[in-house]
Amino acid sequence: MANMVKKASVFEILNHWITAVSFIILAVTGYGFLFHLEQLNSIFGNFNVMKDWHNWSGVVFTVSLFFTIFNYLPVSLSFGSDDIGWIFKAGGYFSKRAAVPPQDRLNAGQKLFYLLLLIAGIAISASGFVIWLMPGVRKWVLLSHLAHNISFDLLIIAVPLHIYLATLANPGTFRIMVYGTVPIEWAKKRHAKWVQKMGF
Amino acid sequence: MSRKALVISPELCIGCRGCQTACKSWNQLPATKTANKGTTENPPDLTPNLYNKIRYVEIPSETNPVRWLFVSQRCMHCDDAGCMKICPAPGALFKTKEGAVGFDKEKCIGCKLCVAGCPFNVPRYDEKDKITKCHLCSDRISQELTPACAKACPTGAISYGDRDSLMGKTKIAGSRKLYGETDLGGLGVLYAFKDAPKVYGMEESPAIPESIVFWHKVLKPLAYWGIGGAVAASLVHYAVFGPKKDEEVN
Ligand code: HEM
Ligand code: SF4
Ligand code: SF4
Repeated sequence: MANMVKKASVFEILNHWITAVSFIILAVTGYGFLFHLEQLNSIFGNFNVMKDWHNWSGVVFTVSLFFTIFNYLPVSLSFGSDDIGWIFKAGGYFSKRAAVPPQDRLNAGQKLFYLLLLIAGIAISASGFVIWLMPGVRKWVLLSHLAHNISFDLLIIAVPLHIYLATLANPGTFRIMVYGTVPIEWAKKRHAKWVQKMGF
Repeated sequence: MSRKALVISPELCIGCRGCQTACKSWNQLPATKTANKGTTENPPDLTPNLYNKIRYVEIPSETNPVRWLFVSQRCMHCDDAGCMKICPAPGALFKTKEGAVGFDKEKCIGCKLCVAGCPFNVPRYDEKDKITKCHLCSDRISQELTPACAKACPTGAISYGDRDSLMGKTKIAGSRKLYGETDLGGLGVLYAFKDAPKVYGMEESPAIPESIVFWHKVLKPLAYWGIGGAVAASLVHYAVFGPKKDEEVN
């Protein structure tokens, strides 16, 4: 197709789905532990097997979280006045007429989401490994149990919003995580600064 | 079924450790080889094969220069049990109809979170990393038998019965403090202490770690309402404001 611009690399897309699938497995099994969901036995068999799924998906999640750093951290840290402007306009999500300042490859909301994912992701992974590999070390396990659950609460609120914003709320966005490309005209409206930098 | 309990009277205990032996015998637990540390306390701590033990405290009082205290130590069968609160595996820990906290090794996933939840440092693990601890001889008491330890005790230092009537009797017998009457919703193992709990090696007011209480009261409900709220907010936004159609973006 003509007039398309590449917004995500194959590596980025693959990594995204590894993060997403491992996260969902972790969240489902995590809810299983949290609320004693014995219905999940019909999927995993028993809680011992479910624990293995949870722990090893945690390894996958941690590795893929590490690779997201290369894809998103530099742009997320470049927070400027246009990003502040975007936030004051709430990204234009609550008014059809609000004109938002031009945005980078990620808009201010996406940057904030990534920073939250990174921080909470590091916290949930590190604490998960402590619970897994230092069992019975009371002080550390108590601290990690707290950190694991606080970061879980943050993520389990943020991720559904991320999914909504990347699908229903913004038609045309989801294809980035499938094909990696978007129409230039689409990109100009949403990521003007990035398109400009790309030289279009 | 009324709640059952043990009442421990350290002043009646002569430190014979018959209860330890009886427990091992009933639960078919092997002996452990230990080194002589010059004390009658042996083994030094609870182990996967030792559900109850006598703690030995030598602490002179004003009137008695050679006061020896023998304190039975084991799972307290808390009403509000920290181990049960934090355990992620349904059925691994459970309450019997007598109010004892039992365990099921098949269901235990070996995460040892219960160690962090227990205020009394009780749970231990077998070689397969499955929980072991005193279960108040739940297989005996369900048949109306007395727990092995209480049965074996020659002096009445461990007595078993209905929690309420046992507490009444102990109070009439003149014990000043009954440890565990209200702690953690009321313990299933009560102590007729005649002095401050710490003299017997027990904490004054045992409690479930605050972080676990906070998790239980706040973080756990938030995990439930949080995801629901996020999904609901998305749907409401979609209904009220709708998607950002390309032609509307500026
Ligand atoms: C997005 C990532 C993750 C999510 C959403 C998640 C979620 C949860 C939740 C909700 C629980 C139950 C909380 C409780 O009962 O205390 C839990 C427990 C646990 N998590 Fe995670 N977790 C994640 C990552 C990890 C990682 C990276 C590890 C380490 C490999 C890990 C290891 C554990 C362990 C060991 C437990 C205790 C239960 C058990 O032993 O299975 N988690 N997790
Ligand atoms: S080790 Fe077993 S009994 Fe203890 S908290 Fe984990 S699953 Fe529950
Ligand atoms: S003493 Fe510890 S192991 Fe026993 S019921 Fe209480 S919290 Fe659970």
